[in-house]
Amino acid sequence: MDGDPPRAGDSPRTSGDSRTSDDAPPPSDDPRATYDAIAEHFASTREYPWPEVKSFVADATDDEQATRALDLGCANGRHCELLSEHAASVVGLDVSRELLREARKRATERDFDVSLVHGDAARLPFCDETFDLAVYVATLHHLTSREARVDSLDELARVLRPGGRALVSAWSTEHSTFDETEGFDTTVDWTLPGGERVPRFYHIYDPAEFRVDLDSSELTPVDVFVSSGNCYAVVE
Amino acid sequence: MKESLMDILCDPLDKSDLELEVDERDDDEILEGRLIGTETGEVYPIEDGIPNLLPPDMRDD
Repeated sequence: MDGDPPRAGDSPRTSGDSRTSDDAPPPSDDPRATYDAIAEHFASTREYPWPEVKSFVADATDDEQATRALDLGCANGRHCELLSEHAASVVGLDVSRELLREARKRATERDFDVSLVHGDAARLPFCDETFDLAVYVATLHHLTSREARVDSLDELARVLRPGGRALVSAWSTEHSTFDETEGFDTTVDWTLPGGERVPRFYHIYDPAEFRVDLDSSELTPVDVFVSSGNCYAVVE
Repeated sequence: MKESLMDILCDPLDKSDLELEVDERDDDEILEGRLIGTETGEVYPIEDGIPNLLPPDMRDD
């Protein structure tokens, strides 16, 4: 999504636009149905790990292998693949079954190990203090309520080990796509190769609001910044 | 899923332990079965090797 050049498929619009397809697309506020519908095409456009994620993982591990890493909202597993180079075991969680299939395909084709789990970012099925490394990238902004977003940050804090580090990112009003300066809810269509448009819910964060949500959670922000139109936080 | 994943999985509802029931496995990979919340009694299916630990209100079935 956000910050992935070229931005194949992404086509921001206002949520009131009329639809061109007769087939009713899934409701935009249900990321599971949305990503199940677009999984294969979406995955084909998500080839490389983001540079911000690569440098976070390199810094956080400091050339030492992490024991257990988590990719929260793993989609097609591109960051699982990166984590697998820096951790003894990697778990990828996503709300979309079809994206998990894409992740498995990628893991098989590229020969890396990942355990895939179907679940909800705001109610994680992992024991306390399980992971010493985690990435929660371009996923937080799909949760429709602020309560769920802060819950998911609390859940991330719960499953991190003491001293463990995570990177959180969300699409930001700082991105050139947006004119707004305050955080807002919107719908961004994904356009499939056949022309069908599938709406996706986003909460676009302004940087101050991103900071407030982090501070409202159990996470401890270590470094909070904007890069390539996304809000980022390194947290413990 | 590998059986060793049981070390870190818990019930998403109350974070209590899960019990594993296996229907089909291929070496150390569990392909079909279920995870059952020891406190909630909730049944979470393992389908095609991937445990579905979505909370019940987010599942289709």
